[in-house]
Parts: sequence; structure tokens; C-alpha cells
Amino acid sequence: MAEYKSVKVSAGRGGWGGPLTVTPSDSRPLIASITGGGIHPVAQRIADLTGGEAFDGFSSSAPFDKLAVAVIDCGGTARVGVYPMKKVLTVDIHATSPAGPLAQFITEELFVSGVKPENVEEA
Amino acid sequence: MTEPGQGAVYATTVTKVGSQVQAFLDHGILIFFGDHAPEELHDISVLHRADVADDGPQPGDTIHLGDVSLEVLAVGEVVRDNLLNLGHLDLKADGRTTAKLPGDVCVAVGALPLLAPGDSFRITRPA
Repeated sequence: MAEYKSVKVSAGRGGWGGPLTVTPSDSRPLIASITGGGIHPVAQRIADLTGGEAFDGFSSSAPFDKLAVAVIDCGGTARVGVYPMKKVLTVDIHATSPAGPLAQFITEELFVSGVKPENVEEA
Repeated sequence: MTEPGQGAVYATTVTKVGSQVQAFLDHGILIFFGDHAPEELHDISVLHRADVADDGPQPGDTIHLGDVSLEVLAVGEVVRDNLLNLGHLDLKADGRTTAKLPGDVCVAVGALPLLAPGDSFRITRPA
């Protein structure tokens, strides 16, 4: 049994939504970085502080129900909605707010944007 | 095949069209991802594999979707990185000359085509 801790992820400058409390569990241990180019610093910081496992979503795959959180670098239309639609907590490094056909799934309880590593704090 | 007087800065071939793409077209949105994208993004995306990936679009460029040509009116600030890193592009037929979202590429209001596997998607720049 792994020991996990919680972090609070708050909106950065110009961001929207949250704050989110992220607590990985044995059933949802993964911190997905859906950013391309490896593990984003925000995803790494969440993993370091919580004990969750960071993985690159563009190099390997995992079911939605294994994700504690998805970290995305979405410009506002696609990835912002897909993960909230599946009830996955979603952290966007860009300062986006809900728009487009998937906007209805993006709620303050599931989504926070404009996040920098310093916006991730121990809860 | 490059047309005389225009160079392709990006050229790619569609490999798969997700089941939700038509629903996005109904909102004037067409989403592209490279075919290495996570599976959970496949439903909403046109997946493709690029042959030429030199630059992202700029206002004044032409986007060619199969045999449909559209002038680029506005480009958000993360478009180039998204396209070159992930094959990702959000095409919006909203007629805006300033992008509303950082990932948006804006073209004139009007119907966007439903692409099929084998179709080409190119971005060309005036000489």
C-alpha cells in the first residue's frame, strides 16, 4: 500500500476554475502529462509532492479511471474538454476558460488553468 | 504536389477520422492531432501523419483541406508549438481576425469539410 499526499492546485495569472485538491490513490495513481515532449514540470511537481506516478500520455496510454489528474497544454478547445468529460481532474498550463462543444463538461470542480509549478502546493 | 508560386510550410495526410468529428463540424470546429496522440483524443480528432512540418500557419496563409482552400484570418499564440509538437490544430470557422483562444486558427464563417482517410491537409504561404 503506497502512501499518498494531497496537493492544492490553484489558477495562475489569467486562469480559471479550481482550486483542485489532487490526491492519488491505489486505484488512481497516475499523473498524466498530455503535453508532448515528456513530463511537464507541473506534472512532475504534482507527482513529487503526492507520491503519484507521472507518465507521458503521448508515449504510453492509460485508462481514464487510472488518472488522478491530467496536466495539459491546451489552447482551449480539445483536451480541455475531453478529460473533464470523463470526470478526470484537469490542470491546464495555459490560461484558458470554457469554450466550444465540450465547455459544458468543464467545471470549477474539475478544471483549473493558467497553472505554473508554484501554483501547486501541499494541501 | 506544391502549386506554382506557393510553398507548403506544413503538409500531411489524414489517417483516421474520429466518430465525434461531425459534432464539432456542426459548431464550425475541426480538430487535428498527429496520429501518435493519446487514444482518448481520437474520437474528437482528425488524425494525420505529416511529411512537411516547417512552420505553423500565419494570417494570409492558405489552409487546404482536400480540395477546399481557406484563407487564414488569425492565429493564436500557441498554434505553432501545438502543430509542430503534437500535430494539433483547432480550426475555427468563426470569421475572427483576432483569435479568441490561444490554440485557435480562424478562417471565414462557413461549412468546414468532413475529411476522410487519405485526404491531404496542407498549409501554404504566398511567395
